[in-house]
Amino acid sequence: MGKLSMLSAKFAGALLLSTILAGAASAEGCSGTIKVLSQPRDGLTLLEKSKDEFTKLSGGATFEIDNLNENDRRAKSKADASTIGKYNVYYVDEANVALFSAAKWIVPLLDYYPKEYDYADFDPGRQKVATVNGTVWFAPLTGGGDMMVYRKDLLEKAGVQPPKTLDEFIAAVKKLHDPDHGVYGVALRGQRGSGANVWRWMPYFRGFGGKWFDGDTPAFDSDAFVKATQTYLDLFQYSPPGTKTGSWDESTGAFLAGQVAILIESTPLTGEALDPKVSKVIGKIGFLPPPSPLTGGGYGHGLAIAAKANKTDAEKKCAGLFIAWATSKENEMRRLADGEFSELNRTSVLTSPEFAKQFGADLGQALADTAKVTAVNFWQDPRWPDLGDHWGISLEELITGTRTDIKGAADELNGFAKTLVAKKQ
Amino acid sequence: MRAKNNYLAATFITPTMLVLAVLAFVPTIYAINISLQDRELSGSDANYVGLSNFIQLFSDRRFLNAAFVSLKWELVTVSATMIIAVLLAIMMFEALSPRLRNALSLVFLMPVLLPRVSAAYVWKFAFHPLFGLATYPYKALTGQPLDLLSNPNTALATVALVDAWQWALFFAVIIVKLLETLPPQPFEAAKLDHARTWEIYAYVAIPMLKAPLISLTFVKMIESLRAFDLIYVMTRGGPGITTETLDMYAFSQGFIESGKISYASSMAVLMMIVTTVAFTILWKRVRT
Repeated sequence: MGKLSMLSAKFAGALLLSTILAGAASAEGCSGTIKVLSQPRDGLTLLEKSKDEFTKLSGGATFEIDNLNENDRRAKSKADASTIGKYNVYYVDEANVALFSAAKWIVPLLDYYPKEYDYADFDPGRQKVATVNGTVWFAPLTGGGDMMVYRKDLLEKAGVQPPKTLDEFIAAVKKLHDPDHGVYGVALRGQRGSGANVWRWMPYFRGFGGKWFDGDTPAFDSDAFVKATQTYLDLFQYSPPGTKTGSWDESTGAFLAGQVAILIESTPLTGEALDPKVSKVIGKIGFLPPPSPLTGGGYGHGLAIAAKANKTDAEKKCAGLFIAWATSKENEMRRLADGEFSELNRTSVLTSPEFAKQFGADLGQALADTAKVTAVNFWQDPRWPDLGDHWGISLEELITGTRTDIKGAADELNGFAKTLVAKKQ
Repeated sequence: MRAKNNYLAATFITPTMLVLAVLAFVPTIYAINISLQDRELSGSDANYVGLSNFIQLFSDRRFLNAAFVSLKWELVTVSATMIIAVLLAIMMFEALSPRLRNALSLVFLMPVLLPRVSAAYVWKFAFHPLFGLATYPYKALTGQPLDLLSNPNTALATVALVDAWQWALFFAVIIVKLLETLPPQPFEAAKLDHARTWEIYAYVAIPMLKAPLISLTFVKMIESLRAFDLIYVMTRGGPGITTETLDMYAFSQGFIESGKISYASSMAVLMMIVTTVAFTILWKRVRT
């Protein structure tokens, strides 16, 4: 990032901050420590540097963030919310927001979110993911869809055009796969979990026309289910070792280390691929939307107010103030200045001149194009984690070869879904 | 005088026993109570369902698999730990001076002092097929990556190796110290009878250490039942469900997938009953 744009971003941040601080006098009176259960996010780490600012803004409160990786964060927050309720703020995501809201483990955000922080400024897609049954439950920290990131140098050398369709994608992956020279065609996620292997498999399922339910009847025994699973399994032949039981870290890690030719992953990958601290492929990559007919997996993660730990309205307001401040425009501008692409969620920041200057027109265009194919692939229901995780186990078994019958796995999932539907009716 | 002594002993013991009883029985009774209900994390209401959770377990393929994996894990880790520990201790006792033995003992204590989660992460990275130190020689020799943790045939053995690395070295230190306490006369008598080295250990030293070795075996058996953290970090029960032990599956059902805490509790209760019965029988059998 140029020094000038960095300075202007910081100046804009400072200006906004002073405005917010001036307008937030009504929120004072908070005290103690706001405990946050989260997963590692650079933006939240950056936030720690501004603790004093929050203390001043809140009238005396501070915050403490406990980080766990995604699967563990989901398990721990579920356990905490349903038992002792130690945390004031939970990091929730598209996969569990329906469950958390239905179980009343979190409270409607906008009831306690100071108006001056302008919730409507968030990207409309992310607002949609944060909204269940017409109520907003979290403020986005990250979100987006899928992006195809490819190694321009390898494709040019092999005379391969960037793929626009799935058939072209599969052909390119096969042609570029050269493990003897340390290059794998693609990288996938094999590790169990609704947010892990199932998340990357879903674009194939939905892209082939698959549906989770036909009315209230599970529809997993469809041709689309079998075809999507078979395609996903076939592609694993070209995925690096370690990814069969790995997730985001393993697949993106291999790409960033220069060992993968093409990767379709959630949009934060683009930010990491451009970060000199972690990427060895800077200057060698191009961006495109996922090849047709794959649907991009729309997602959103953010912060929500816990119900149990915040017993009084005043406590809920303090948690709401923390969330508003943590996801505020001035903090997003700080993230922009710090080069944290994947944690920018506000329209005003994404369309700012500083953003265009830092990340270039190509990425901006790719983001706009990928938004057109981004869809909600998962089942938007409190029972989704149960269903998705159940399928994740069978999918991992298929990927690692401990079971081979796709149709049998589909029938088993269908049976499980029927019990799930019947139990809650 | 005797009555006074008894009274004094009871005064000291009672508070401790009460604390122990509360710590041991309250969670156990709570777990048994929950296991008879249909409680889920996301719901506030629950009904008593009798033994249906327990009955359901026996038609659950993942539970049956987890029971089998737990049994394999127990057999592999306990036997590997004890065999490696005894052999290492004998080698140290035979080949090293007391000073060197003490120095090596200090080194051997280090793995068990490492928190399990840290040890698991260190070894997980060491076994990484592309960047791992432990798999590097294979990759350098054959040009092919070695993916031990993703292979259903090697994953459990690989995690068991890490378990043995932590515990076998620690037990070797204990056994070598036990060997040092044995009287020298039986060894000298065996040597006079022209017994070979392995015969001296097989027929003289090890039988003399039978009681502490049995105790160590039981300690390891109990410890192996609680290997959740090691397996969770290294494989998460995968590939598929090939390393999913009972405690992992119970946690998964209770907190990761479904929030079925009653179902998870029924597994915990069943595990408690089976292990208590099995350990009691084994303990009585080896003592007779």
